[in-house]
Amino acid sequence: MSDREGPVASRLGGRVVVALVAVGALLPLLTLVLRAAADEWRSPSALPQRYGTRGIEEAFADAPRAAEAILNSLVVGLAATAIALVVAWPAARVIGERRLRRTAPLWVLLGLPLLVPPFATGSGLTEWFIRLGIADTLFGLVVAHLIPVLPYVVLILASGFRPEVREVEEAAAVHGAGPARRLALVTLPALAPVVAVAALLGFLVSWSQYGLSLAVGGGTPMLPLVLVPFVGSDPQVAAVLALVFLAPAVAAVALSLALVARLADGGRRAREPGSRGARRALEGVPGGGR
Amino acid sequence: MARARSLAPLAPALLIVLALWGAGMAGAVRSSLGVNRISGWSAADLDAYRTLLGDPEFWDALWFTLRIAALATAVSAVLAVALAAALRRHGPSTRVLAAVPVPMPHLVAAVLAVLWLAPGGIADRVLGSLPVDLVRDPAGLGIVLVYVYKETPFLALLVLAAWGPAVAAREEAAAVLGARPLQRLRWVVWPAIRAPLVTGSAVVAAFVIGAFEVPLAIGPTSPQTLSELALSATKTASLDGRSVANAALLVASLLAVAVAAGAAAALGRRNE
Repeated sequence: MSDREGPVASRLGGRVVVALVAVGALLPLLTLVLRAAADEWRSPSALPQRYGTRGIEEAFADAPRAAEAILNSLVVGLAATAIALVVAWPAARVIGERRLRRTAPLWVLLGLPLLVPPFATGSGLTEWFIRLGIADTLFGLVVAHLIPVLPYVVLILASGFRPEVREVEEAAAVHGAGPARRLALVTLPALAPVVAVAALLGFLVSWSQYGLSLAVGGGTPMLPLVLVPFVGSDPQVAAVLALVFLAPAVAAVALSLALVARLADGGRRAREPGSRGARRALEGVPGGGR
Repeated sequence: MARARSLAPLAPALLIVLALWGAGMAGAVRSSLGVNRISGWSAADLDAYRTLLGDPEFWDALWFTLRIAALATAVSAVLAVALAAALRRHGPSTRVLAAVPVPMPHLVAAVLAVLWLAPGGIADRVLGSLPVDLVRDPAGLGIVLVYVYKETPFLALLVLAAWGPAVAAREEAAAVLGARPLQRLRWVVWPAIRAPLVTGSAVVAAFVIGAFEVPLAIGPTSPQTLSELALSATKTASLDGRSVANAALLVASLLAVAVAAGAAAALGRRNE
C-alpha cells in the first residue's frame, strides 16, 4: 500500500482493506445473531442444526429478571442522560465559547472521575447511599451514573458552542426573540447534532456501566449484571441478551453512517454545527414575529 | 467579581461531579481505614492495607492486572497505527465500519470472544482446533484479545484525526527528499500522532486497570485482577472484607491515575 506501487495494486489493496473492515465489523454480529437463534448447535458442525426461539423464551418467559433488568438499565440511562444534558448545558457554553483563561484544572476535574475505576467510586459511595436511604434504588443508580455520564456530556456539548452560535443568538435577540424563542428556534436547532451525539454517548456510558451498578445497586437487576452469569451457563440466552445490550451501539453506528451520508450530500457546509439549522431557525423569526 | 460571575455557569456541573466523585473517594478511603458507623474514626487503622500487602494473592493480582494492562495497551497502540495507516485513504463510511467495536459494550465483546474462541467454539469448528487456550487461560490472553479488539479502533480514530492532509503533504516532501517509509513514520508521522496516541493509550490503560466485567466473563478464576480481588473480598460477609476490598480498589485507582499522570508528564516535557 505504499505510494510507489502502481494504481492497480493500490486500488486492490484499498478494496482488501474495505473488505477486511466490513468482515471484522459485521461477522461477529452475524455470529451473535446465529448463536441467539440456534436451539441446537452441536460441535463440530459449523452451522446450527436447529433454529428457534428457545433463547428468547428462556431469557424472558422463565426469568422475568432479564426483562426487569433491561427496563431498569433503560430508565437509569435515560434519566441520567437527561439530567446530565440539563446540568451540563451552562458549563458547556462557558467552555465552548472559550471564556476561561486556564482550562487545565477543568480537564483534571472532569477527567479524574473517568480515569478512576467506577467500581472504586461506587464502592466508596455505598455507605453514604445507605445512610441517605437511596442504596439499591433506581434513584441512587441514576445519581451514581452521573459521575461518568456528566463529564462526557459536558465535553461533547462544549464542542457545539462555537462563537457562531452566539452570533446567531445575538442576531435573533436584536430581532426581538425572547430567551425561550431563542432557545427553541435558534440554539437547539443549531446544536441539534451535537446534542444528539452527547445524548447518545451519555446513554451508552450509563447503559454499559458494570462496576458502578454492581457497587451501588445492590441487588437491583441491571442488564450487564444479569448477563454475566449466562456467559458460562447458557450461551444462547447470553447471545440474546448481548444483542439487546448491543442495540444502542448499533443505533450509534447507524446514526454515524446517516450523518456521513448527509455530510457527503450537503457538502462541507453542514459540518459546521449551527450553519444550516441556525440559519433556517433564524429565517423563522423575521422581525421577532410580533 | 465579574470573573466569578462568568464562571458561575460552570458550578452546577462541576459541583455535582466533584461532590459525587469526591464522596465516593472519601468513602473508599474511610472504609479502607476500617472506619464505620459504629466505631467511628477512633478505630481508624491501616490493618486492611497490612492484610492486603501480606496476602500473596494481592501481589499475584497486582502483577496480573499490570501485565494485562501493559500488553493490551501496547498491542492496541501498535495495531492502531497500522489500522490508521490502512484507513487513511478511505472515506468516512469505511471509518465508521471500522469503528463498530468502539461503542460496543466490553461485555458484548467478551461474549463474542467466548462464542468464537472457547473450546468447541466457532474458531475450533472452522479451523479444526486452536493451538492455544484463550478462554479462562491463566495467562489472561483472552482478556487481552478482547481489549485489543475493542481499543484498537478507538485509538486508530484518535490517530486518524491527527494524521490529516497537512501531515500527508510533509510526508510527500520527505519522500521527495529521499526519506524511506520507516524514516517518514519516525520523523514526520510520529511527532504528529504522538500526543493523541499517548493520551488515548493512557485512557485505555486506566480503563483496563479498573474494569472487571471482561476478566469476569472470559478470564481465569485465578489469578484475578485487582477489581476481581476486591469483589471477592466484598463477598466475605465481614466488615474487614469491605475494608480490604476498598484498599485494593484504591490501589487500582492510584495505578490508573499514575498512568495518566505519567502520560501527561511525558507529553508536557516534550512539548516544552
